[in-house]
Amino acid sequence: MQVKEYLSNVRDGQINLEEFLAELIEKTQKMQEKYSPFVTINEKIDIKSLKKGNLYGLPISVKDNICTKGLRTTAGSKILQKYVPPFDSYVTKRVKEGGGVIIGKTSMDQFGHGVFNINTPFGVPKNPWDIERSCGGSSGGAGCLVNIADFPHVAIAESTGGSISCPAAFTNTVGITPTYGRVSRWGLISYANSLDKIGTMSKSVEDASLLLSVIAGHDPMDSTSIELEREDYTSYLKNDVKGMKIGVPKEYFGEGVDKKIKNRIWENIKLLEDLGAEYEECSLPHTDVVVPTYYIIAMSETSTNLAKLCGLRYGLEKEIKIGESFNDYFSRVRKEGFGDESKRRIIMGTYVRMTGYRDQFYLKAMKVRRLVIQDFKKAFKKYNVLVSPTMPILPPKFSEIENLNPIQTYMLDILTIPPNLAGVPMISVPGGFSDDLPVGMHIIADHLQEKKMIQVAHTFEQNTDYHKKQPVKK
Amino acid sequence: MKIGLEIHVQLNTKSKLFCSCSTDYRDSKPNSTTCPICLGFPGSKPKVNKKALDYGISIAHALNCEVLSEMFFSRKSYLYPDMSKNFQITQFEIPLARKGYLTINSNGKEKRINITRIHLEEDPAKLVHVGGDITTADYVLIDYNRSGIPLCEIVTEPDFSDPKEVREFLVKLSTLLEYLGVYDSSLEGSMRVDVNLSIEGGKRVEIKNMSGFAKIEKALNYEVVRQKSVLRKGEKVVRETRGFDEAQGTTKTLRTKELEEDYGYIFEPDLTKIEISKEWKQGIKTTIPELPDHLVKRYQEKYDLSDYQAKVIVYTGKDFSRFFEECCKLLDKHQMVAKWMITHLLKCLNYQGIRIKNSKLSVENFAKFLEMMNKGEIPKRLGKEMIKEITMTGEDPEEYLSKKGLKMVSKQELKKIVDKILQKNKDAVKDYKSGEEKALDFLIGEVLKEIKSAGDPKQIREIIQASVAQ
Repeated sequence: MQVKEYLSNVRDGQINLEEFLAELIEKTQKMQEKYSPFVTINEKIDIKSLKKGNLYGLPISVKDNICTKGLRTTAGSKILQKYVPPFDSYVTKRVKEGGGVIIGKTSMDQFGHGVFNINTPFGVPKNPWDIERSCGGSSGGAGCLVNIADFPHVAIAESTGGSISCPAAFTNTVGITPTYGRVSRWGLISYANSLDKIGTMSKSVEDASLLLSVIAGHDPMDSTSIELEREDYTSYLKNDVKGMKIGVPKEYFGEGVDKKIKNRIWENIKLLEDLGAEYEECSLPHTDVVVPTYYIIAMSETSTNLAKLCGLRYGLEKEIKIGESFNDYFSRVRKEGFGDESKRRIIMGTYVRMTGYRDQFYLKAMKVRRLVIQDFKKAFKKYNVLVSPTMPILPPKFSEIENLNPIQTYMLDILTIPPNLAGVPMISVPGGFSDDLPVGMHIIADHLQEKKMIQVAHTFEQNTDYHKKQPVKK
Repeated sequence: MKIGLEIHVQLNTKSKLFCSCSTDYRDSKPNSTTCPICLGFPGSKPKVNKKALDYGISIAHALNCEVLSEMFFSRKSYLYPDMSKNFQITQFEIPLARKGYLTINSNGKEKRINITRIHLEEDPAKLVHVGGDITTADYVLIDYNRSGIPLCEIVTEPDFSDPKEVREFLVKLSTLLEYLGVYDSSLEGSMRVDVNLSIEGGKRVEIKNMSGFAKIEKALNYEVVRQKSVLRKGEKVVRETRGFDEAQGTTKTLRTKELEEDYGYIFEPDLTKIEISKEWKQGIKTTIPELPDHLVKRYQEKYDLSDYQAKVIVYTGKDFSRFFEECCKLLDKHQMVAKWMITHLLKCLNYQGIRIKNSKLSVENFAKFLEMMNKGEIPKRLGKEMIKEITMTGEDPEEYLSKKGLKMVSKQELKKIVDKILQKNKDAVKDYKSGEEKALDFLIGEVLKEIKSAGDPKQIREIIQASVAQ
């Protein structure tokens, strides 16, 4: 059942919400046992307090780095394992105003630090297409849940360098990462503030657009929030790409990209051509420097964001030893509370902003970011959208991931980082299969041009049935 | 000797720099004027208080600085318990303003102290060291009420050549900021100063976090002596940070710094670039009131005050000079107003330890008092005592006199009564004219009897003498 239909059924009283939600909690507990999509399941849903708004009764999951008042929010980390926010994020406030039901907090790499959702002390979500494989990250829990939920559901996720697109591609779901500033970050536990974007994950482009229409909008509590009128993104769901100009960045079909994935995407591009779109190969010349640029900025910011988690006000509270200095205590708490990848990013992030390296790394990266933005601006003068593979590889096995070193892992972000770094919107849609595993197709648009990518994505979805395919239950 | 200052001024905006919490924290319960933003809760984001920017621009104008057309906030990272986020939002490479000056008087000559930069930042929380000082306390309490109070940091060039100049500068700066209406000098810790001091042959020493102009001068004098004696002994003055121990009047080492501290500045990614348009700057300029230097000149010209008088009135404070001007509107005797304010009123206020704005004395009553003094309605010998009392009680001077039974008959009234008495006692007048002094005493006695002693015998004597001489 599509979300729209469900909402109207609830409104009409055709669905008994109380029974439905009671059953849903049981279902989620079973799913958790098998796939671990959650960090926390919300077991105290109060139907009476639900507002009768436009999301009345809709189950919504929230990535665990987004604050939910009174509901534990860990950002996937041990150091925040007991953090219960006293306030709601902007997006969850909007969801509650609309009468949505927050069913739980979904798993993630701690603080968004990862590509496979394995960097967490809580359960690692398993890919429904093959439980030996990763759901992708960092919003792996959201992708997993969207795929396995046999009930109407949409997910709120968040992307810094590809954390929505990657799990969308690996779990055969739809993920929208909107323009930076479209959705308020108030209440988001920041990874890298200048890159963080809250977005949606769902089974269809329609469901994603519906949720985006609710959570996007100007919020004075986030200074980087764009001052624009609200948009109804579902109004762009047109089955029509005639005359649409598509750019195909040749760098995104390079050496590191799985041949089978390249072929799959080319077939999809041909389909769009058959449907009336025009395509052309193009170039985004700064692609080779985006990964280091992104990581320098993201790590610089994250190393300052996480400084507050030291066991004084936030973070694990430990017994203070007699004679222990502030610094010794802070170090002890942080050593225990942060995982290896977060420690790595804190150390590297601190290094690149130190006197003597700051100019060479941090400030230079800030300048290169502008060049990357210019690449996109130039391309979007000619094209309405850019189309490419979302991820260069198929969902890997956990055993394969163990053999990757950090640099190899970081390089897997090569296709999702550029648009994330530039702050342009993107959508990853189910783009077919290879070796019985899902392939994600990335559609990127210019700043604030979500409507273009939604239109192309919707048309593609209407003319394929990849998004309807479900894993064969083993 | 070279001395440079970093002055932190708390701006008296209503709300904090990045949230809407009240800045009125001194009388509040610890940790009560706080919110998720100034406590740095995970998920919270700062939001700039535009009023603090207005105040900053206003200070920049008053200190003859160039206000930049765009500015950024940055994160200054250091882990310390007074920081809720373990970084401070401040300004680094692109401050609010730079390159200005303030002139001071040094040994009778004008001297320009150059301002390097002015920037805004948030105040950290207040640490309360229980059972000792920073090095000896049993434990430390944290009060986040101060966390996020807007601070304006003013950095000078190392242009001072002795501690006296530093004090002169700070007094002048404090007065200037108060006239701008951006800061309240009467609040404890509202201006805190870090001083960098070096003498010939020694390294630069920083003395951190001092307040009180006299105390700062004292600390610097101590530090100069200390550094000189270190060098005299053939030892080295090392690069370090020291703190001032008020009780002992000495400075002591807090930490030695071989290397410059590394704050790993990055741009504050939760805030956007702020553009300061010409219109904005110009708009602030029009709100700038008359400043002390100008006021001193005007008082000399308009009210015919001496340089000294004008300076005392202006530098005692904005409330004091306003009181003076208001009083001059009510009473034409400007010199009298100035003299009484400087010699008597100020003494009374200092004695009570208050400022004129907190005193019960109204301008109207002060003017009335002077007027009555002028007319001789108040015995001169009573003036000093009376001003002391009405400054405390705020009483109407006339009522004060009636209550005390001291109401004087006015000079005009007195003249009439004298005439009457002279008519009645023509013999005594004749005696007096013929040189009998006792007759004059008799006549004065008669007048005093008539007015029930509500008059100044000296004044009565003068009136009788004048009248008889006609």
